[in-house]
Amino acid sequence: MRTAIAMGREVTGAARDGVGFADLRRRFYWHLLWPTLAVLMVVTLAPTLYLVVTSLTPLNLTLPQTAWDFSRPLVNYRLLLEDGRLHDSLWTQAKLSFWTVGLQLALGFLFALLLNLRSSLLRALRTVFLIPMVLPPIVVAIIWKVLYTPDISPFYWLFAELGWDVPSLITHADWALTAIIVADTWEWFPFTMLMILAALQMMPEEHIDAARIDGANVVQMTLYVTLPYLKGVLLVAGLFRLIDSIKAFPLIFILTDGGPGTVTEVTNYYSYIQAFNFSYLGYSSAITVVLVAITVLLSWLVIRMVGWGQNVE
Amino acid sequence: MSSRAIDYARRARRTRLLLHALVIVLVLIIMFPFLWMLAMSFKTDADIFAWPPKVLFAPTTANYVALWDGNFPRSFANSAIASIVSTLLAMLAGVPGAYALSRTAMRSEKSLSLLILSSRMAPPIAFTIPYFLVYRHLQLLDTLTGLIIIYLTFNISLVVWLMRSFFDATPRSLEEAAWIDGASLWQSFVKIILPLSGPGLAATAILCFLYSWNDFFFALILTRTEAMTAPVAVVNFMNYEGWEWGKIAAGGTMVMLPVLIFSILVRKFLIQGMTAGAIKG
Repeated sequence: MRTAIAMGREVTGAARDGVGFADLRRRFYWHLLWPTLAVLMVVTLAPTLYLVVTSLTPLNLTLPQTAWDFSRPLVNYRLLLEDGRLHDSLWTQAKLSFWTVGLQLALGFLFALLLNLRSSLLRALRTVFLIPMVLPPIVVAIIWKVLYTPDISPFYWLFAELGWDVPSLITHADWALTAIIVADTWEWFPFTMLMILAALQMMPEEHIDAARIDGANVVQMTLYVTLPYLKGVLLVAGLFRLIDSIKAFPLIFILTDGGPGTVTEVTNYYSYIQAFNFSYLGYSSAITVVLVAITVLLSWLVIRMVGWGQNVE
Repeated sequence: MSSRAIDYARRARRTRLLLHALVIVLVLIIMFPFLWMLAMSFKTDADIFAWPPKVLFAPTTANYVALWDGNFPRSFANSAIASIVSTLLAMLAGVPGAYALSRTAMRSEKSLSLLILSSRMAPPIAFTIPYFLVYRHLQLLDTLTGLIIIYLTFNISLVVWLMRSFFDATPRSLEEAAWIDGASLWQSFVKIILPLSGPGLAATAILCFLYSWNDFFFALILTRTEAMTAPVAVVNFMNYEGWEWGKIAAGGTMVMLPVLIFSILVRKFLIQGMTAGAIKG
């Protein structure tokens, strides 16, 4: 940084409008950039490489000699292919991702259409919809823990009044995943809603007018004008939610702890259990490397979709 | 005005009213879970377990007093310190780079975008395992320093990404005018561009703070007692001494209070922040 300051001072009137100045500017920007890049590399890239290295060892925290044992580097990855519990967790993950992303897009779309009306009341209410999404995830988990606990939940009182015999959802093998999907959808549909709303408000008036002149009704307008227009934003919002659904943790940790049995154990959660309950950090690293690879791939897709990195001068 | 036009106007008004009513009902349904926990934090244990559930009750601050008398204030302070310091460090390290990226073309722009976005998106366990192993050797487990460093993993990316788009929106003619007036490169950045980017800097800092404050996973694994943060402390009310619902609700409310205040302050930038700038809300 000190060099950047010194260089900034070096600028003289003569250099300012010549090739020298362009060169000086390039050097100045580089001096501003490299500390940022260096910190970024040290805090993110180096640990990721270390994770890959760890995944090549049978590291077990209770056996210190396993730390730098590279005698069978691919043993963890071979184990990935045979581990039934891991495969189950991938299937659980797929179900969770499919339903949460789908429901959030659908609900987000419906609410966005509703809130897109020109009205100051609705504009004010938009902020209220932010609440589930900005709440600390742990608070969301607590809220739903309360609602899913039969002793204290107003829902269970309502069910009883209606004469419905509803089991405790989060401890019921058939319902636990659904309970998590409901809570996750509540937490995140405002996110898709706001993204879609932002796109809706940039929708050119001509599209709407042209369709109206052609005599389209509300349903036709939504299906043939609005939805095609929103294709891009729906895809990007869906990708963002998909990537996020891979790291689902607090809800599962608080509501079901992966259970009953392993019915709500997603891959991320399984990896956590392997690492910090069973102390198999080497194997857990291998699982995590796979998750990171999926994340990077999906992030790359997002970048392709949004077109980042192409808007340089 | 013909009667048909009046009819149409009346119908349009009725539709509008109906839609407003519908939205208000929906908002109430959506907000109900949140409001229920908020109310619970002011209930006595007897009221929490009351059957039928009590909507109207005599509020008590007993749960908050119990929190205040326990270890919770310390965890709350830990959360605040770790979040604030990490935010400041991330701003210090990230803002100059963001400015440089905004003003210059880079050949490996795409790879950098991928690195930044991936580090925002990667599951926390990907960083937790290597940091856990290294911290064990450096004696950084259960320290605020350890938390501050690991929060940089997502904060730096956030700063670079958001500030870059803010700087992109600042016209270059401003610096160019300053150079002609004899300002150095450094002066034009510090004295012209930074002050103009005040709102962007504030919004970015607040978003970093929120992300750090909301963290649960890193703190769960990397802290035990000394550096325990507020979210982890609240969860611990679920394990020890039975289930203290009143304290859990009060602790949850305390944890979400700063978040709600800050979120409303930066609501315009929230979506931009959460999508790393893909959508400008």
